[in-house]
Amino acid sequence: MKLMVCLKQVPHQDARLDVRSDGTWIQEDNIKFEINSYDTFALEEALRVKDANGGSPEVVVVSIGPERVTQALRTALGMGADRAVHVKDADADGVDALGAAKILAAVAKAESPDVVFMGLMSDDGNFAAVGPMLAELLGVPHATSVVKVSMDAAITVERELEAGALEVVELSKPALLAVQTGLNQVRYASLKGIMAAKKKPIETKSLADLGLAGQVGAASRRVKIEKVYPPPKGTGAELLKGSTDEVVGKVLGKIKELGLL
Amino acid sequence: MGTILVIGEIQNGKLREATFELVAFARQVAPGLGAEVKSLVIGHGAQALADDLAKKGGGEVLLADHELLANYGVDAYNRAVRAAVEKTKPDVVLFSNTPSGWDLAPRVAAALDAGFVSDAFKIEAEGGKPVFTRRVFNGKLDARLSVSALPVVATVQPGATSPHAGSEPGSVTRLDVAISTGDLKAKFVKIQTAEAKGVDLTKADIIVSGGRSLGGTEKFMEIIKPLADALGGAMGASRPVVDSGWLPHEYQVGSSGQTVTPKLYVAVGISGAIQHLVGMKNSNYIVAINKDPDAPIFEVANLGVVGDLFEIAPALTKAVKDAKGL
Ligand SMILES: Cc1cc2nc3c(=O)[nH]c(=O)nc-3n(C[C@H](O)[C@H](O)[C@H](O)COP(=O)(O)OP(=O)(O)OC[C@H]3O[C@@H](n4cnc5c(N)ncnc54)[C@H](O)[C@@H]3O)c2cc1C
Ligand SMILES: Nc1ncnc2c1ncn2[C@@H]1O[C@H](COP(=O)(O)O)[C@@H](O)[C@H]1O
Repeated sequence: MKLMVCLKQVPHQDARLDVRSDGTWIQEDNIKFEINSYDTFALEEALRVKDANGGSPEVVVVSIGPERVTQALRTALGMGADRAVHVKDADADGVDALGAAKILAAVAKAESPDVVFMGLMSDDGNFAAVGPMLAELLGVPHATSVVKVSMDAAITVERELEAGALEVVELSKPALLAVQTGLNQVRYASLKGIMAAKKKPIETKSLADLGLAGQVGAASRRVKIEKVYPPPKGTGAELLKGSTDEVVGKVLGKIKELGLL
Repeated sequence: MGTILVIGEIQNGKLREATFELVAFARQVAPGLGAEVKSLVIGHGAQALADDLAKKGGGEVLLADHELLANYGVDAYNRAVRAAVEKTKPDVVLFSNTPSGWDLAPRVAAALDAGFVSDAFKIEAEGGKPVFTRRVFNGKLDARLSVSALPVVATVQPGATSPHAGSEPGSVTRLDVAISTGDLKAKFVKIQTAEAKGVDLTKADIIVSGGRSLGGTEKFMEIIKPLADALGGAMGASRPVVDSGWLPHEYQVGSSGQTVTPKLYVAVGISGAIQHLVGMKNSNYIVAINKDPDAPIFEVANLGVVGDLFEIAPALTKAVKDAKGL
């Protein structure tokens, strides 16, 4: 059995989000990056399938992105993944969701995994699109918002719906699962794992290697970000700045006024 | 003339309100896009619902009615939508950003090799093409997106506009969708409704909720619980708190947790992602404490405190206790 996990490296959740000078994205120089939160749960779930099957399934992690992405792949290898594929190509920077799905489809066709694990969405773009797109390109069934996985001849998953309801779906293999956060408790890379990871291979591929030269990338984007900006302020909110005593006094006054004290 | 195709959604035997919101968006931009509005209803025994949508602005409504379409399933619903797309050749396909909408819409976009926009809350027509506005970075920034080629597939945030209220003459046409059980690689098994919660936040008059920034159970109990206790209220949490195992799921407020409307909601170190906001924005009075003056939680707050929660929340706890003589 082979499992493929798609990892995106995204700006750290506590990184400052300054809009860059052209106004179309954030300034990404000199900020910290991390593995997309949803993807850490996807990787953990794949590693659990590996552990439950005597360690025999191979877990291959794949990430598209610039040089910095090797850091994310190293972390994943340290957690227990066996191998990494890094798609690095100037034309792959800034691909849209469909572009990313096309690249990942080319990798998946070469790897032919039994199950592809993804995150439901990326913490930066919030597209929640690459998973179902990749499943369509591969012609395999998928489920999104997965919060529980049981693996047998077929795969049974629970999908999260709204307000606590769950949907149980059975998928034939090969299949793709786009997981929701919280479906497991994610492990940390152990020191032993980190040492072992140094010997594990990271294979770098260009778009040409994947037979996609000139087919994805900025030029073929169908949707273009015109600008990003902080959301407009609400009209009702009174914003308090000042000394702690002052602001706490005002909040307390309001609670009294509401008759709640 | 082009077409905007609205994908309707049935839930518990009724068309969702979100479907009529899609109709509203579609009708708003249709003149600017030089397009007419058409709709698709997918289900089983859904003739009356299709008739209803036709009367309420859905335009020419296609009805895909089949026993294998009784519940959402990605393979069968994909076929139904693709058949409708084949027939209407739309420039814009609109889904609601609901669990079935976000599951299927990107697949349809990939199949059509089309552009895709998810969770838009605003759609405008500019130069004959749609322009979408949506949140990125879990609500911390807004993004405006233009489309370089049509068709485009989009999902729209439920609640982003009011449902279409007018009535226009429409019609219903049945759409044949060929599916058999053998075609289904993903099979719907059942829906489990939410189990009764040990903690019912919906009855609390005061809720103090903490977010990811608390960093762990210990700090959560040190900062959030005393404030909730002092106010005589309940504790709540954003999703990452529950995902990290700091608190059980029954404390989660939001689209995948509880929807609450207390007299006072205090959000401590919560950014205000839409999925959290939908669970608490109808509270009577909202106080938010956040160090980021641009945090989206301030959009729904009545009173916002810009500052460090680790300083402000304990000071507030003390002030409340002093005021109560505790
Ligand atoms: C399908 C789906 C369903 C979801 N359902 C839910 C749901 O039901 N409920 C929910 O909450 N989320 C839900 N989410 C997740 C949601 O998108 C957000 O990721 C989540 O709400 C963010 O939680 P947060 O505000 O605690 O963390 P963050 O977004 O990381 O925000 C932390 C905030 O703390 C502030 N902060 C940091 N340090 C300090 C300090 N010292 N003092 C003051 N402020 C500080 C920061 O400025 C920031 O605003 C869902 C997501 C999806 C895709
Ligand atoms: N650049 C990338 N490299 C690898 N996987 C990605 C990349 N972008 C997106 N993904 C995967 O697709 C999921 C959904 O992302 P998105 O559709 O961009 O919100 C992520 O959680 C990842 O698993």
